[in-house]
Amino acid sequence: MTSLETHFEVQAFLAYEARLLDEERYPEWLGLFTEDAHYWAPGVENRGRSDKEGTYAPSRMAYFDDTLDDLRRRVTRFTAPTAWAEDPATRHLHVVSNIEVEDGETAGELLVRSVFVNYRGQGDVDAATLYGRREDVLRRVPDGGLRIARRLVVLRHAVLPAKNINTFF
Amino acid sequence: MSADVTSAAELKGCRVVLCAADDVPAGRMLRVVVPEAGPLLVANVDGTFHVTADTCTHAEASLSEGDLEGRTVVCPVHWAEFDLATGAALCFPATRALAVHPAAVEDGQVVAYIRGSREG
Amino acid sequence: MKDDLLALRDLDDGWLDRRVFWDRDVYELELERIFARCWLFVAHESQLPKPGSFLTTWMGEDHVLVVRRRDGSIGAYLNSCPHRGNRVCTAEAGTARGFVCNYHGWSFDLDGRLAGVHESAAFGREPTFDRSKLGLTPVAQLDTYKGLVFATFDPDAPPLRDFLGDFAFYLDVMLDNDEGGTEFAGGSITSVLDCNWKIAAENFAGDALHAGWTHASGAEAMLGRGVAGLSGDDTESYHVNVNGHCWEFNLDGVGNAATLGDRRIIDYLRANEARFTERLGPLRAKMVGSISSVNVFPNFSFLPGQNTFRTWQPKGPHRTELHTWVLVNRDAPEEVKDAWRKGAMMTFSPSGVFEMDDGENWELATRANQGVVTRRQRLYYGLGSDTAIEHPELPGNVHRGQVNDANQRAFYRRWSELLRAGTWDEVPS
Repeated sequence: MTSLETHFEVQAFLAYEARLLDEERYPEWLGLFTEDAHYWAPGVENRGRSDKEGTYAPSRMAYFDDTLDDLRRRVTRFTAPTAWAEDPATRHLHVVSNIEVEDGETAGELLVRSVFVNYRGQGDVDAATLYGRREDVLRRVPDGGLRIARRLVVLRHAVLPAKNINTFF
Repeated sequence: MSADVTSAAELKGCRVVLCAADDVPAGRMLRVVVPEAGPLLVANVDGTFHVTADTCTHAEASLSEGDLEGRTVVCPVHWAEFDLATGAALCFPATRALAVHPAAVEDGQVVAYIRGSREG
Repeated sequence: MKDDLLALRDLDDGWLDRRVFWDRDVYELELERIFARCWLFVAHESQLPKPGSFLTTWMGEDHVLVVRRRDGSIGAYLNSCPHRGNRVCTAEAGTARGFVCNYHGWSFDLDGRLAGVHESAAFGREPTFDRSKLGLTPVAQLDTYKGLVFATFDPDAPPLRDFLGDFAFYLDVMLDNDEGGTEFAGGSITSVLDCNWKIAAENFAGDALHAGWTHASGAEAMLGRGVAGLSGDDTESYHVNVNGHCWEFNLDGVGNAATLGDRRIIDYLRANEARFTERLGPLRAKMVGSISSVNVFPNFSFLPGQNTFRTWQPKGPHRTELHTWVLVNRDAPEEVKDAWRKGAMMTFSPSGVFEMDDGENWELATRANQGVVTRRQRLYYGLGSDTAIEHPELPGNVHRGQVNDANQRAFYRRWSELLRAGTWDEVPS
């Protein structure tokens, strides 16, 4: 059980992160990650309960299977003036909830679970809703703040109900 | 031998001759219907004969039409699996064990010792 | 009126009728005469590694169950119980000994035969009940080409090799550049686009033009610069097509592969160029990772180099389900395979830096045709009208220059031929 103070800190951190994404402040968002971060959103397959392969696995296709450098590349595309599909801007809303905080396996790290819903309004009438669960490892850094060292995003969709994922979760 | 059989019958149950051992080569199964116990499954697992009820405990299927994989029989209708030595149901959808009857090869014939209480 | 539309009389002059993207009755005819008739990609053999391996997919709007049978052969059946029509397999992939319908417990073995029914005594008394006639409906024909599994619902369809024709020569660039053959990296990703399926298919058939413009931001992210011009006089590049199957390419060897941003992939291609040449000859060896795109008629596309393979599954005239996989050489080093898996996703998946800009364009290009007046305005498909050439090495219809509409016209010409033909005999060869 972590302290009320830590829980509150994590909650504020995740809310701030969500707002950075809503406001497309990607360089600042990248600043929330450690240099060795791994950001993974595996493809989710509609497989049977008894299937030993499981619904997702590291060796399979993924929406994101990224190092920090990979994330930087994606941000380069988002922020390029030639990212035609991003102009007019997509109106993103990231809702984060069901936050649970516990001590991580390594000292100075927290294991944080949360759920998210990403609502999107795009162009005139386009709308999409994507949702899933997250599991983060947050690391305490020397300046006293928290950084994301690892993130697992498990979408609840086998068929993504959208034409693309033009944001992060 | 005959003396042994008499005493074995008292211990094990009613002795029933099912088929010639040669009728069921290794890795094969045979369905035999006997009045004492209804349809029985005779399976030859690497020279060891197993006799069980032939009707799957899940639905009404003849296990003899299924697959023999090692000591496991696989039902041909919903693919339930049973351990032929113990009768244990190994996977969904079967939940009840299969009746197992002591079996032996005597004078080239497969015999089973049927006990009413163990009928499936 | 309909016949006139289907004839696409202005196509050779470089004009396309927009109703092909919008009309419901055109779409219904496509399901009948293209998707229920052509050979369609259903699986890579590596997705069905052992007896009982299965996957479900689409052939048109028909849901199909593809299985590795016990004898090692591959079967494909309609995923619909002959009793009340329910799906008999509700997973997208896995391993099974057979399939049981959840509704009334009818079960089917890997050969599609009816294995059992619930309350069998009642059916046993029923004289009209013939178990042998109540299996899953199989496809009419199934065949493979170097790892790719295709099926058709039409018993009169020509053999797969004839359907592919000389396009097999080009397919070998991807499927046979290494003696170990190919496999799909694990998993698949599926997404939904509110566009007509043909807009996506024709893009892969020939649209090198859009690469430098649509994907400028993606190229900036992955290469640190835009896509170089593709239409210079000194560029050796082509549109080729056979039976409506289309491949546009240049001979730069690694142009597409470079966009994955992983040195290991380029190194692998460079290190193996001599081997590719040995198997394919010098010209095709330069196509393995080059700036190029492909559509196997009607809806199976891929990108050499990025190695993304995909189907555009029709879900109505204005909706497409996109299924994607990643192809790798089976004998490539594991780290190279993994680099390709990651790179293909980074570039061409719903979150990919290239693909992200495609969906937007295709959806809006489809939706515009809702306007009745807009729909009357023909679309310009005239680029490269005089580029047809004979080539000593390249079979099929060959056009010089990859910035071209020749393949797109060939795609719609084939589309038109199939929609107007009542039987395969009437389809021009």
